[in-house]
Amino acid sequence: MYFRCRNCGGNAVYSPERHGMYCPYCESEESGERAEGQTGALTLCPNCGGEVPVEEHTSATQCPYCDSYLIFNERVEGRYAPQMMIPFQMGRETCKQSLRDKFKKCLFAPTDFLSEARLNSMQGYYVPYWFYDYDTTCFFQGEGTKIRVWRSGDKEYTETSFYAINRSMDIRFEKIPADASDQMPDDVMDLIAPFQYGQMVSFEPKFMSGFYGEKYNMTADVVETRAKSLMKADAEKLLRESYAGYSAVKTVQQDVRVRDSRTTYGLLPVWKYIYRYKDQEYPFYVNGQTGKIVGKAPFSNGKFMAYVGTLWACLTVILALLQVLLGLL
Amino acid sequence: MENDVKKEAGRQYLHYFRFWFIGIGILALLCIVIAAVNRSRGDVPRTNNEAPVERVYDYADVLTAQEEEDLRRYIAETENKLHIDIVLVTFSQSVEGADAMAQYGLRSQSWEQNMQDIADDFWDENHYGYNKGFEGDGVLLLHNWYEGQNGEHLSTSGSVERAFSVRDIDQVLYAVDDYYATNPYKAYRAYVKEIARLMDTSLKLPFSWGTVFILPIIIAFVYAVSGSSQKKAENTVAVNAYVAGGKPELHDKTDAFLRKSVVTRKIETPGSSGGGGHSGGGGHHHSSSGASHGGGSHRH
Repeated sequence: MYFRCRNCGGNAVYSPERHGMYCPYCESEESGERAEGQTGALTLCPNCGGEVPVEEHTSATQCPYCDSYLIFNERVEGRYAPQMMIPFQMGRETCKQSLRDKFKKCLFAPTDFLSEARLNSMQGYYVPYWFYDYDTTCFFQGEGTKIRVWRSGDKEYTETSFYAINRSMDIRFEKIPADASDQMPDDVMDLIAPFQYGQMVSFEPKFMSGFYGEKYNMTADVVETRAKSLMKADAEKLLRESYAGYSAVKTVQQDVRVRDSRTTYGLLPVWKYIYRYKDQEYPFYVNGQTGKIVGKAPFSNGKFMAYVGTLWACLTVILALLQVLLGLL
Repeated sequence: MENDVKKEAGRQYLHYFRFWFIGIGILALLCIVIAAVNRSRGDVPRTNNEAPVERVYDYADVLTAQEEEDLRRYIAETENKLHIDIVLVTFSQSVEGADAMAQYGLRSQSWEQNMQDIADDFWDENHYGYNKGFEGDGVLLLHNWYEGQNGEHLSTSGSVERAFSVRDIDQVLYAVDDYYATNPYKAYRAYVKEIARLMDTSLKLPFSWGTVFILPIIIAFVYAVSGSSQKKAENTVAVNAYVAGGKPELHDKTDAFLRKSVVTRKIETPGSSGGGGHSGGGGHHHSSSGASHGGGSHRH
């Protein structure tokens, strides 16, 4: 499917800035209507009939001939139908500005790293995620010590008190995310979190128009290990917080039990910018909702030498001139 | 395209270092202007023509002729810079006790008093002083090599008397003390050098030329490290980010007291320690001619 403008027939896309459908050709708003292709073939553009390169998990892409954004029905429906999604809240321009703001202090990055031409290659992706809910009961048993020191006369007293600590709590975890995409590095997807679930909505294909997308590559049971380890780490931290205030705590017993769990499937928005420098790719990922950026700026040896060398030379000359000047006074 | 990138790189470079380059330009200009002004002003002329040209009187004969010549040259250079007279007198003669008092007509039996008198009188009688022959600006080092009475006295006059504290006088004498036994020439050079250092009132950065070259290397290193280090991103997910309601439901929270132990330690109070330092040098006084002098002695 794709979204066609009722007014001019152009490809209508979802605009994060306008929070609605928008036609970039006639600039009309909310004029997009769903259109299906004639052929039904996955690799043929329903708008122009051109051949579209489609990878195994692609659920949304752009036609290289007519530039229309296409959404593949069979990859967003049925068993691949996402139950929820967060639509893009940040447009390309806002995202570009965020990148410029974050990396403007990276002095040794190549000059064209943040150039307009390079940043225009940025693409928005809807990344498939599994969300896990866990109802847990957590226990802790341990021995804590509190130390009090005071002085009286010429003596110092150190009092150590020992306590038996018992904690029991129910923790209900909701929507712990784990990405279900082979293409997206797990560590990056973990760092790009958190997403604000208050803006989560039911899935609608129109939100995908204007962006790229994938269906889940891995089933929920395959990626659950990541969600479980995150849940366990958080539960243990919450237990630790509950017995804070002791000088030292010795654990006797600790247990995190899962009473019930549920899994849902959804899409989250991520901008991706790949900068190529000296035959190497430097990927940058931007949370399409919060603007959080994950990535390290590339390093230009030439720029590094020039800037450090100049700073050294300037400092030396300034100090030497000051020394001479003060001697002349 | 590549040319555009290079042009942009050059523009960014100049923009980044613009204040540095402007600062260097201003400083260089200031140096040139002040140097030119100083040059046009010329030197402060010597106004006392009564004093002899000689500055080195080696009556004790501890210096070679060449060493004396070198010292004269070094003293002349320093005098030109500081506008003070610098005199060195060595001799070998008893200046202590009743015999010396009777034999040389000294006014005291004290070594220190006599050394001071001889130094002050030598200065006054020769009318030393860069600006005038009475209480003029300058300094004289008198070194007695007589066996058992070896020691120096520093007599200051005019601007040097006003500038030198007791501590400064001691510093000069210590500089001489360091070398006199092994190399008298080096000891007297150290005397002149220390006078030059203490009388040099020109403004300076609080560090040496070596630091001028080393400090920028350290700063450039810190700049290079801070500019190079960066993290992919921080983990900003709060511990309760995925917890319904933001907090757990606590069912049991008991902290039962088990036992306690108390350890006592005696506090050691540090004992007071004291020490003495060498106190030397002398204050202001008047010589037999009535001129004001400062000074101090070190006896070995």
